[in-house]
Amino acid sequence: MIEATRKLGQLIIDFVVKLGYGTRLFCSLLATSGPAFRRFRLTVAQVHFIGNYSLVIILVSGLFVGFVLGLQGYNTLQRYGSEQALGLLVTLSLVRELGPVITALLFAGRAGTSITAEIGLMKAGEQLSAMEMMAVSPIARILAPRFWAGVISMPILAAMFSAVGVFGGYIVGVVMIGVDEGAFWSQMQNGVDWIEDVGNGVIKSVVFGFAVTFIAVFEGYDAQPTPEGVSHATTRTVVTSSLAVLALDFILTALMFTGA
Amino acid sequence: MAAVSRDQQLLLLNCATANALAACHVPSPSPFVTIKGASFAYPDLTGAAGRQILSGLDLEVKRGQLVALMGGSGSGKTTVLRMLGGQVRPQAGSVIFDGQDVHAQDLKGLYALRRRMGMLFQFGALFTDMSVFDNVAFPLREHTALPESAIRDLVLMKLHAVGLRGAQALMPSEISGGMSRRVALARAIALDPQLIMYDEPFAGLDPISLGITANLIRSLNDALGAASIVVTHDVHESLAIVDYVYFLAEGRIVAQGTPSAIRASDLPYVRQFIAGSPEGPVRFHYPADDYARDLGLPQ
Repeated sequence: MIEATRKLGQLIIDFVVKLGYGTRLFCSLLATSGPAFRRFRLTVAQVHFIGNYSLVIILVSGLFVGFVLGLQGYNTLQRYGSEQALGLLVTLSLVRELGPVITALLFAGRAGTSITAEIGLMKAGEQLSAMEMMAVSPIARILAPRFWAGVISMPILAAMFSAVGVFGGYIVGVVMIGVDEGAFWSQMQNGVDWIEDVGNGVIKSVVFGFAVTFIAVFEGYDAQPTPEGVSHATTRTVVTSSLAVLALDFILTALMFTGA
Repeated sequence: MAAVSRDQQLLLLNCATANALAACHVPSPSPFVTIKGASFAYPDLTGAAGRQILSGLDLEVKRGQLVALMGGSGSGKTTVLRMLGGQVRPQAGSVIFDGQDVHAQDLKGLYALRRRMGMLFQFGALFTDMSVFDNVAFPLREHTALPESAIRDLVLMKLHAVGLRGAQALMPSEISGGMSRRVALARAIALDPQLIMYDEPFAGLDPISLGITANLIRSLNDALGAASIVVTHDVHESLAIVDYVYFLAEGRIVAQGTPSAIRASDLPYVRQFIAGSPEGPVRFHYPADDYARDLGLPQ
């Protein structure tokens, strides 16, 4: 019993310490973000690396999610004779929920892990220490450009995911099943609100961008500088990011769409 | 010569006999780096102070002086360098660099001091996503407003000094460990620092590179008028180039002196280290239970 209490206490202390460390790192990250903007090429290079290289998985996933939404949506809607609303259903599902959420989950797996592993291995190879000894802040030079690149990339990737997903829904619904093309697009145009739906979806993806990328850089920077340490940090990035995205999605949805 | 101190006379004598050296700088009498009564223990998993690494360490390096810091594995030599660079903070004592307490600085002050230091890490610590050229150019690009043409010339000069001008376009993954360390040396001296710290600069070098690197360390120190600290196990190579030697054991300096004094020393610790003998005050085996009992053999 005493041992269990001690372990619980240690877990709580570890959690509080990590939370405090994370908060301090986040503040430092924001405070030292100047170089990431003044030398914007550093951030652009990271947008290219973590954004551009995530395109394939995002676009292919978006297309298949669109296919599935088209099929499932048609199946359900035709029971009520509302298959004309397929375009609206597919689009709302994507821009409000699936686009930002699935993009963030895929981003955590594709780019988040790569950011964590890269920073963790730099730490293990004393590259961050060397940088510090050269009077260059690793937070400003390494973490900040990656962090802002993730924040910038996420809404763009989510928009692409949703656009390709709508196209996937169109292929299944209109081209393969034969839903009226005019109804598909006009219902979508009439039913989707730029601010309420698209705008809130963009806000969600920006928030997810902050969360996922910060978790990735934090885990890399906090990793034990050993192969096992980097491996564990990479795993934690995926687990923590995924849970954070799902929890944040619930909170944001409750704030944005309840009572709408 | 009347005004020259005994230490300086000794150094002048050393310089006169070391004909491989291009030039010999006479150290200034006042210390450039001073570590006074420094104690340090890495924190354990609970955050409390763990095994004591340094306890009451005193060390001085004068400007123009090349100092070797020797000691067994795990004796805290690298920790001393990290303490000088402000990367670890002593629990007691002070570290003074050119009259300023390293650990009393805010981050801006610390970075200002570090811009005057150069450090060669044990495994090079090259940035693996940059070419050899870009690694050496990194501190110049970060801290100077020099045009790219001037940076190119400076980088090529530094790389030429370590014999790797021809490897400028290669990535760190394409060069050997010894070459990596030479590139790291070129990077460490890119800004012509006033304090140069070398962590095991001779490890993994072939005999030719080792001799050239040793002479390079000496001539760099003299040309820059810098203070240099070399952490090394390579007794014979380092005694040939340094001005002063500190032996570190059990967290404190157990012996010190000029290379000739060290060679002539009859201290058991120094004798054992220079002879590479397994017998002596420095234990080869980490403390353990009885060997026979561990193997389950009858006592």
